[in-house]
Amino acid sequence: MSTCNRILKPGDYIQKEVFVARFCRKAFVGLVILALLGGSISIWGCGKTGSSTPGSSTPIKIVLSAPFTGTGSALGEWCEKGARLAVDEINASGGVKGASFDLITYDDASDASTAATIIRRAISSDKAVAIFGPNMSGAVLGVNTLAQQAKVPMLVGATATSLRYDKTKNDYLFRIKTDDGVKGAELVKYVVEVLKAKKPGIIVGSDSYCTSGLADLKQDFDTYGIKIVDIENMKEGDKDVTAQVTKLKKAGIDVLIGMTHEPEGAVVMLKVRELKLTVPCIGESAWGVPMFTDLAGDAAIGVISLQVLNLADPDPRVQKFVDAYTAKWGTEPSDPANCYYDGVYLLKKAIEMAGSTDGVKIDEALKTVEYTGVQGLMKCDALHNFTNTCYISQFNGKTWDILSKIP
Amino acid sequence: MVLSNLLQNIIGGVSVGATYGLIGLGVVFLWQSIERINFANISSAMIAAYLFYTFYAQLHLPFFISLVASIAIIAVYGLLLRYLLFEPINHHGGGELEFVVATVMLSTFWLSAIKAFYGGVPRPFPPVFGEATSFVRIGSVSIPFVYFSVFFVVLVLICALYLLLWKTMIGKMLRATAQNKETASLMGINVNMTTSLAFMLATTIVGIGGILLAPTYFVSLDLGAGPIGVKGFASAIMGGMINPFGTIVGGITIGLVENFSALFISSVYKDVISFVILVVVIIWKPRGIFNWTTKED
Repeated sequence: MSTCNRILKPGDYIQKEVFVARFCRKAFVGLVILALLGGSISIWGCGKTGSSTPGSSTPIKIVLSAPFTGTGSALGEWCEKGARLAVDEINASGGVKGASFDLITYDDASDASTAATIIRRAISSDKAVAIFGPNMSGAVLGVNTLAQQAKVPMLVGATATSLRYDKTKNDYLFRIKTDDGVKGAELVKYVVEVLKAKKPGIIVGSDSYCTSGLADLKQDFDTYGIKIVDIENMKEGDKDVTAQVTKLKKAGIDVLIGMTHEPEGAVVMLKVRELKLTVPCIGESAWGVPMFTDLAGDAAIGVISLQVLNLADPDPRVQKFVDAYTAKWGTEPSDPANCYYDGVYLLKKAIEMAGSTDGVKIDEALKTVEYTGVQGLMKCDALHNFTNTCYISQFNGKTWDILSKIP
Repeated sequence: MVLSNLLQNIIGGVSVGATYGLIGLGVVFLWQSIERINFANISSAMIAAYLFYTFYAQLHLPFFISLVASIAIIAVYGLLLRYLLFEPINHHGGGELEFVVATVMLSTFWLSAIKAFYGGVPRPFPPVFGEATSFVRIGSVSIPFVYFSVFFVVLVLICALYLLLWKTMIGKMLRATAQNKETASLMGINVNMTTSLAFMLATTIVGIGGILLAPTYFVSLDLGAGPIGVKGFASAIMGGMINPFGTIVGGITIGLVENFSALFISSVYKDVISFVILVVVIIWKPRGIFNWTTKED
């Protein structure tokens, strides 16, 4: 009987063969899926580890939660590279009392719930002795109590005034970058005393950094008895502000203050140049970084901005940091790389002073330690801020000219 | 309100709105072809913009080659969408819901993939349509040169679409298939070919829309997420999901409503007002403001 004439019946040997083949195929597929699942869980669970030169003791784990995606995505790379530069320098010179730092980095996507997952992991799984970040104020607001409950110091580059100690009452939260309230006061002082403006207009973004900054600006203008003539709002991601800039122009403002993130700042300046709003434009520190000038292009020429790092500062500590960063990463640094660089050195000094990696002892040491870094003398004040250094600078098309340095 | 301010806002609204309309066209073409909504429609815009950026700004290929390569890849992507997503779902008995879920996941996949490859930082679009700071001044009204270029390209595209759909045999076949697939098949039209063409056209038009939007939106993840995709859908709905030109007009309407909401009412409520008006239009004219047929017709 030829094969093509054979009729399959139950119990036929060929049917059994087919059954076995199908079972093996399914089992193989199942094993592959399990392997992939296990692999992806372990990859997801890893984070990025920057292993230092092994010291004679157990490495001291520190976690960095930074925004590589989301609203603050421009900043994550700077945070990590600044921190890692410091970690590598410290480890190369013998570490902290013989133990090296092990920096683990996670992307918090500028999101509070993602940051919460990271902080819990840093505390329970990574057993970090300190946490750097999150860098975005909204994320810090959502997670700083976790650090307090776990008694693990949290050093952040987030600058909203709502994170000051008198508001959070969090003994374990410290700021390594100048507070928005300080920067805002200097901005208003410059606008009133140098630019002699009397009819300011503000364009403001919608997230907590922007709205908190606006509240500070309003208070600061009140102290000078100056009324803000017009405030226009935009949302993160808005790409057309024709109506807003038209209204600002119609209001007759004599200075435009930008309280937005970098891409929104670029959108504003492009529209300002298009509509020929020829008043001085001054932005909060998000306007003083490369992402803003890259996106705004020639529209950024003449813009004044607050900055927390200016590469042209002749201070030897600043130049040493700029040279070291450029040599290691091949690009010049930007805010907040200097903040996290200083922060890691600050932590090193605190651990040495405490003589321990216990969170409570490090926290006590942080409250009294002094360190002179890229941002000058850093010492914890009553608001748990370590620094009040900032610059007011003007973009000339290529670099930022320093108009004044505070303090 | 000074006339120049009104004109400025009209120009801004029309320029951005026309590109919303292009995004909406991708929805319309696919709906007409397979009666499915592709929730990854806007991803084509983002992919095309990043492709062009890669070829032109990073690999320094000539403009024309970069443009043709980007459009060709996005057209092939449309074909892959049909054969790797739509057809397998159909083959396994899946329907509208399964296609919606699959395209929602696809949209998330593309956002993650672009983030992984390029990072989340927006990049400036190369000044191929004119410098961002060069303007054409007509009296007291200044128009960025980019707007002229973008609007000119949209006009050319609309004219090309009109010629394709109404003056060519392929266009006739596409329209016939969109009207009634079974009858078109009986008439000897290769429905398989027209379906593939519809998929490719959908992603290509949206991809071109993405490249045109990139000077305004920057080369960023915003092109593949957020309100812009929703505004594309809204344009398609306002056009009745039938008429491509109605979709463009729908998009322009949305652009104008946005700008005038911000100008006359408040910039805070710009999106709220635009979408409230959209909902009112949908309730009043559910078949689109340019479709005067009723359910009984």
